[in-house]
Amino acid sequence: MPAPSDSSQPRLAAGCRWATQGEDQVVLYPEGMIRLEGPGRAILELCDGQKTFADIVHQLANQFAGADATVISKEAGTFLDDLRIKRIVDY
Amino acid sequence: MTPNPLALIAELTHRCPLHCVYCSNPLQMIAAKSELSTEDWIRVFNEAAKLGVLHLHLTGGEPLARADLHELVKAAHQANLYINLITSGVGLTEPRLSTLIDAGLDHIQLSFQDSRTDSANWISGTKAHALKTELSKIVRRFRVAFTVNLVVHRQNLDHIAEMMEFVEQLNPDRIEIAHAQYYGWALENRAALMPTPQQIDECMRVVADSQERMAGRIKIDCVVPDYYARYPKACMGGWGRRLLLINPAGEVMPCHAANVIPGLTFDSVREHTLDWIWRESESFNRFRGEAWMPEPCRSCDRRAEDFGGCRCQALLVTGNAAATDPVCTLSPDHFLIENLRSAEVATAETSAVSWTYRPNPL
Repeated sequence: MPAPSDSSQPRLAAGCRWATQGEDQVVLYPEGMIRLEGPGRAILELCDGQKTFADIVHQLANQFAGADATVISKEAGTFLDDLRIKRIVDY
Repeated sequence: MTPNPLALIAELTHRCPLHCVYCSNPLQMIAAKSELSTEDWIRVFNEAAKLGVLHLHLTGGEPLARADLHELVKAAHQANLYINLITSGVGLTEPRLSTLIDAGLDHIQLSFQDSRTDSANWISGTKAHALKTELSKIVRRFRVAFTVNLVVHRQNLDHIAEMMEFVEQLNPDRIEIAHAQYYGWALENRAALMPTPQQIDECMRVVADSQERMAGRIKIDCVVPDYYARYPKACMGGWGRRLLLINPAGEVMPCHAANVIPGLTFDSVREHTLDWIWRESESFNRFRGEAWMPEPCRSCDRRAEDFGGCRCQALLVTGNAAATDPVCTLSPDHFLIENLRSAEVATAETSAVSWTYRPNPL
């Protein structure tokens, strides 16, 4: 299954949503929840269905100053692809 | 310290328009007149959310048989619960679905009995198949998570590939291939439902192919069924560890089938808080943790993974609820499972199918 292309507009899939559990930010989906922190949370918070994957990578590169955009693109792509297979993200 | 529960299974009613031969409801069902009121359920949902519950599974029976379902969904949503509706679809129309989604429904799980109309209707004892197929098109008009659940067993597994094609074209986000589990009505009908080893092999092959083909579009879940697995399932994620179930009368149970265990009594939300029942009640503490475990569980590395398996299955097969789940190949009672499996398969080969439909409660 391919990772998102530059023009993909990733967003949470139907029936998947953010929630707060104690101190943590989690995404709830039909079978359970994932607790998000660090880069994973930063990536997913940008997935609003409007921004393109290229925009998201650009913003992440600014947010994590010093990180290489090519590496960010590869890692964020793998992360989102994995969530798409779990039907938590659409793009 | 007792962990917080993560999910609440609310059996809103045992009334159901379907009569599926593998229904997980107990043989002794709760009468309509004993059901909790709207106010009771709303109070319980709020207590559950305070206790840390994230997921609410509204089930039955058929939850749509409750005329107050939209009020319950609304209250649960206000309590910040993630709301799953587990339904046959009978009683659901586009306007009613729209109302439920507006009230905060997050996910709908629609059950199917087969790909073939005659067989599906025979298994459910009703003519619901065509309606369900139509309903799945309506569900896709809304932005809501959609799972198709298909229960498989000896009577439909010969055409598993055809069933996979059928459920695929319903276009859900998720497909759950659920092997019948032998509790409640399925235990009554075990001889007719027990699959053959060849059916299981073919099923696992077809499911693996489908998972690869549909990856990214539809997520498919399927586990090796009881009586064929090497190790037991982590039933309910461990007794009193993650889930609680409330039956239509308000009795709180660690699982669907726990009332088969002699000597266990279940406290009611009519008399106690959910917090007290979860932490303090005898039934939730009976098999919580590891102190109750016999060998080979007690010294087994898998005990933190499967928690000794299912207490109800241990009781139903060995007569002792505190035994290792006999599904486990390490259990000294495992031969009982092997014998039952062969005996049921042999019975089915030599006699016509006869089964008992699940009736409706009074």
